[in-house]
Amino acid sequence: MGNSISLAGYTFVVEESKEISGEDLGLLQEKLLQLNWGVQHPASGPMRLKLWVDGDEVVKVDPDIGYVLRLLEKLVEYRTWINAVVNVERACFMDDFGTMAGYSIAAEKIAGVEVPKKADYVRTILCEGGRIVSHLIGLGSFVGVMGVHTPMQWALIAREKFLDAFEVYSGQRIATASIIPGGVRYEPTGKFIEKMISAVDFLEKEFIPRYAEVFIDNPTLKLRSQGIGVVPKEKAVELGLAGPALRASGVASDVRKDYPYAAYGELDFKVVTKEEGDAYARYLVLWEELIESAKIIRQAIEGLPEGEWRTKFPIKVPPGEAYVNVEWARGCFGFHLISDGGTGPYRLKMRAPSFANVWALPEIMKNVKLADVPVIFASLYMCHGDIDR
Amino acid sequence: MEAWIKAIFFPGFLFLLVVFLTIFYLERKVLADVHLRTGPYYVGKWGILQTTADVFKLLQKEFVIQRRANKLLFSLIPFVAFLMVAILIAFIPFSEHSYIVSTSFDLLVILALVTGMPPVFFYAGWASKSKYSFIGGLRVVNQMISGEIPLWLSALAAAVFYGTLNHLQIVHESSWLGFFILLPAFLIFITATLIVTDRPPFDIPEAEQEVVYGFLTEFGGFNYAILAVAKLIELFALFSVAVILFLGGFKGPILPGIVWFFVKVAVLYLFTFVVRASTPRIRMDQLLRFCWKVLTPVALLNLAFIILVKMFIS
Repeated sequence: MGNSISLAGYTFVVEESKEISGEDLGLLQEKLLQLNWGVQHPASGPMRLKLWVDGDEVVKVDPDIGYVLRLLEKLVEYRTWINAVVNVERACFMDDFGTMAGYSIAAEKIAGVEVPKKADYVRTILCEGGRIVSHLIGLGSFVGVMGVHTPMQWALIAREKFLDAFEVYSGQRIATASIIPGGVRYEPTGKFIEKMISAVDFLEKEFIPRYAEVFIDNPTLKLRSQGIGVVPKEKAVELGLAGPALRASGVASDVRKDYPYAAYGELDFKVVTKEEGDAYARYLVLWEELIESAKIIRQAIEGLPEGEWRTKFPIKVPPGEAYVNVEWARGCFGFHLISDGGTGPYRLKMRAPSFANVWALPEIMKNVKLADVPVIFASLYMCHGDIDR
Repeated sequence: MEAWIKAIFFPGFLFLLVVFLTIFYLERKVLADVHLRTGPYYVGKWGILQTTADVFKLLQKEFVIQRRANKLLFSLIPFVAFLMVAILIAFIPFSEHSYIVSTSFDLLVILALVTGMPPVFFYAGWASKSKYSFIGGLRVVNQMISGEIPLWLSALAAAVFYGTLNHLQIVHESSWLGFFILLPAFLIFITATLIVTDRPPFDIPEAEQEVVYGFLTEFGGFNYAILAVAKLIELFALFSVAVILFLGGFKGPILPGIVWFFVKVAVLYLFTFVVRASTPRIRMDQLLRFCWKVLTPVALLNLAFIILVKMFIS
């Protein structure tokens, strides 16, 4: 009791004995070590994986989430239709445009508002920019869990250029609140387009060759991630995986292609899929999607039409409901929006892709080594803000 | 020069401290360069005093011992580890005259002390009474034992070739022919050194994303600083031995011997920094397979080859 914290007057009640029952008790009786991978852990982020390990083998994994719950769905009910985007975009700050676009499309469906064509194109540019920003972090952190921090630093340099473009557009670098029901909030000025083109140029001419030379086809990286966390095609569908993790198992599921929204229907791009379904395939899907996104941005900038970028959105929206899916950076993001005729949403339910991926962890992490846990975790490409909302 | 002055200043404790700070600074600067960053910049010219500031920050920290930890062992281990690696330095001739002692068993003492490191690190993990530290301690024993056998075999290859264990004599007898014949042994020695000192890509015991910081997890402040110094000095000592055994030690044209010695050590360090910046960490089972199925048999074959060469030369 002689430590400085108790001397300072704080009292801590430590639960020394806690009743354990059921399967957990059985595991403890078999002398398995229970490790807490998280909440305070260099690679876990604000969530916990309860790991039962037998030597170096992982026997059971139990995800424990809820450490960054912000009640975004509830908070939306206290906002007006347009203000609500600031809550929606905070589902995950890596790619905020996808969620804002999904919410806005749902609101427009209920209100029966037709957005101008220019707004659709600007939404596409912003959404793809957000996807690139998010995928860069995903690539960096995937290699980062194996102790190499170079990709993350290189990715952050490329990411800065896109954030610069977002700053020119909206005044903010991360939480931009720029896509709203009725169009986009600001005019896409020439300077914004110029910044976006220079960011894509940097990505395609400097980042991609430099990165591909060292960290794609890297033999040690392959040694670590090939054949790890394999999810076959049927299993991926059964587990309800989303986004790059689903496409890496060979399922060509992409909302942008299947149910086009914004300007995706008029643009030419391909859905990246891999057959292997292991951690390395998921990494390569991220990498190739990055290249595809850069092409989409170029096409959208070329085809940017003239005209208005925003229409009037009614203050009171007639009663009704809508369900909209968008292809967010981390997968298919669903918005179930209900209006009761008021000045704001009556209820919003967000279907989060990362939340779907978390519950695949106990299935995927069976009979793997302890060292594979961070690799599989990073390869599923989850965002903690998105898991808890 | 008096031996005790040497022990305190030039190849002694103060020198070790300067080496530690310089290597730490250079590692950060080189890594930053690969990362396309600036690295340490503000403290001193080119940030040269940054590492000194970091060490002094560590010295001010509270001395925290976990409640369940074995207090005596926990407090003692860092100093034992430091003493063990400091002894290594005493046997290394940095130039013709700058060494503390020179015996006929130099190489043997160094290899024996390096072999003594795993228990120390294991007890560091065990005394912490923390799950991550314990796993880190077990991993360190696993890894070092697998790495030490190739280390011994490749170092002994050089000793057999020159017919002596004395470092000075090895340096004097070294030649270009010896360098080429011992090239395989050199490569094995460098790989084994990276394994024994848990440098990337073999930093499995300290794998941050798996076991937080391995056996170092519970250490903080001064204790941590001493342990970190011990680990860095161990690598420095083994690289110095590599330079002596395979690269001709302080021999070299024009420049004084000590400069040549540090140039050679710096090249080896640059190699480790670049490896660290570009190679992901491998897994424990992959490392064990590599050590026992590839490195050890190759080292044994290499020793047989050296004996064969020795037979023909003499």
